[in-house]
Amino acid sequence: MTEQTDHSRRNFLYVAAGGLGAVAGGAAAIPFLGSMLPAADTLAAATTEFDVSTVVEGQLVVIVWQGKPVFITNRSDEMLTRLDGHDDNLKDVNSEAIEAVQAEWMDTPEKRKTRSINPRYLVVVASCTHLGCIPLYKPSAGRAEWGDSVPSDWVGGWHCPCHGSFYDLSARVINGSPAPHNLHVMPYKFISDSVVLIG
Amino acid sequence: MLESMMKTKLFAWVDRRTGAEAIIKSQLTEYPAPKNLNWMWVFGAIAMTVLVLQIVTGIFLAMYYKPSAMETLGGFSVAFDSVERIMRDVNFGWLLRYTHAVGASMFFLVVYIHMGRGMYYGSYKEPRELIWIMGVVILLIMQGAAFFGYLLPWGQMSFWGATVITNLFGAIPVLGDLIGQLLMGGFSVGDPTLNRFFSLHYLFPLLLVAIVAGHIHALHTVHSNNPDGIDLDQSDPNNVVMFHPYVTMKDAFAVSLFMMLYMYIVFFNPQMGGYFIEVDNYVPANNLQTPAHIAPVWYLTPWYTILRSFEVKLVGIAAMGASLAILFVFPFLDRSKVRSARYRPMYRGMVILFFIDVIVLGYCGHTATTETLKVVGQIATFYYFAFFIGLLFLPKIEKTKPLPEGV
Ligand code: HEM
Ligand code: FES
Repeated sequence: MTEQTDHSRRNFLYVAAGGLGAVAGGAAAIPFLGSMLPAADTLAAATTEFDVSTVVEGQLVVIVWQGKPVFITNRSDEMLTRLDGHDDNLKDVNSEAIEAVQAEWMDTPEKRKTRSINPRYLVVVASCTHLGCIPLYKPSAGRAEWGDSVPSDWVGGWHCPCHGSFYDLSARVINGSPAPHNLHVMPYKFISDSVVLIG
Repeated sequence: MLESMMKTKLFAWVDRRTGAEAIIKSQLTEYPAPKNLNWMWVFGAIAMTVLVLQIVTGIFLAMYYKPSAMETLGGFSVAFDSVERIMRDVNFGWLLRYTHAVGASMFFLVVYIHMGRGMYYGSYKEPRELIWIMGVVILLIMQGAAFFGYLLPWGQMSFWGATVITNLFGAIPVLGDLIGQLLMGGFSVGDPTLNRFFSLHYLFPLLLVAIVAGHIHALHTVHSNNPDGIDLDQSDPNNVVMFHPYVTMKDAFAVSLFMMLYMYIVFFNPQMGGYFIEVDNYVPANNLQTPAHIAPVWYLTPWYTILRSFEVKLVGIAAMGASLAILFVFPFLDRSKVRSARYRPMYRGMVILFFIDVIVLGYCGHTATTETLKVVGQIATFYYFAFFIGLLFLPKIEKTKPLPEGV
């Protein structure tokens, strides 16, 4: 009998059965992995409204949008002048590196610099683009207030305590930081003179 | 005792249906172990003891622990409050929790010594490569289990540690976003994350049990290495003693000593000055505020330093992955025929320096970075890899000492 075994036919059946078994096994993994992805209620994109006029000049507030912290700062004229003069020291001066750091309304060099619709109010995602800590707000220039936690030529901005990333007052990342990108911007618009709708 | 038990009728009945006698003989009473094993050989048995203790204390903690980030009236969270309740209200709850939390640190301490033993005496070499490789898998699963467990108390360190590590996986090119979402069940660490981490924290130690069984099975196939790293005739009574009672008694003695140290820490110094349980973890998780200084628990800090040593994020992540992955190929990098560092003068220096190097890496990762520490960390990272690469060339230049004939 054995001499009559059709080996090529048998091998074909082995491969076919084994291959289909593997496909079925792979398919069975889909619902398991799928169940681990964000659930529908987590996904339901919530929007958040916030009245920016409640932020005192020079101050920062942190609000929550979709479970993520968001920075809103009110920058004085003096602070806005400190956005100039250190372009050489920034990784991505004009926020062009990736999509998440720019927005449609960034259509003028001025807006690329202030990274905001109304230059006074900066609205950005508060997660350090390195590994997601919330950077500390250190708005004044120099080391007077911050000691050597900031570089000697500090222009004011954010310092991430986790691995020492620095951002300027437009949340643009400063050279030498482990963070690769500027803080992300999220979609938002002004629905009245002072109220923003985030999301 | 074992002898007389094996003579009973009941045992004979069981034996006919399970082959128990043959197993006991081949694995214990007639399993040979080298006569010259020193005290470095007790850490495997100690590690198994800790694993069992972690599982037992964990199962009892799980009877009271509640994995939910929902806010409570007190302004904390269900998970944080349930751990505090274990500490204050549950009978012996404090003992269970401290035994478990300190146990995680002791487990790593013991396993690191156990690995160091293997490196020093060449236990990773032919024919024990697979035992070593399974050991590395065990290490990775332990790290996973500890990472998942650390989120459960839902304190500040839990939250921000998990945020940093999940973002780390999230930064992997192409698949990163997907992996991040699979881990977090959302876009940031939150309630879904806590639930799945609890589920996985329960699962991983059970996986460990299975892999440890494979580790031991492979060991019993090729037999133990020994401090001289030489091949022994396993049937020559000049070389070997029977595992039971000789090694079992020695292991039991070592386990007793270890338990005294372990329980001393549990009773008198469970936080170990913030090394075993970080102080900030008694502050409930706050997703709007990062603690001033975050560092992982000590047993993960060497890898954290490697991550931080590179300015480009992806390179840091790749280096950290490589530092663990290189352990898998370690047995194949080192082609020297001589196993034990006792007879390899150059390797001996290199491997001792490597142990010091890992401690330096650990120190750097635990402390807030300064300019100097950053450079120290980078040099230590360099040596970490240089050690392994150097092994490729070592056999060409190293003059090994003559090996003894027997033990
Ligand atoms: C490989 C073995 C294990 C390791 C390394 C480990 C590690 C840890 C760590 C580091 C913590 C946080 C401790 C703290 O700060 O309070 C923890 C908590 C916890 N573990 Fe485990 N664990 C292990 C096995 C298990 C098992 C098998 C269970 C069973 C379900 C379990 C259940 C728990 C529970 C309920 C908590 C939360 C209570 C607490 O925070 O003390 N663990 N674990
Ligand atoms: S998370 Fe901000 S520097 Fe690493």
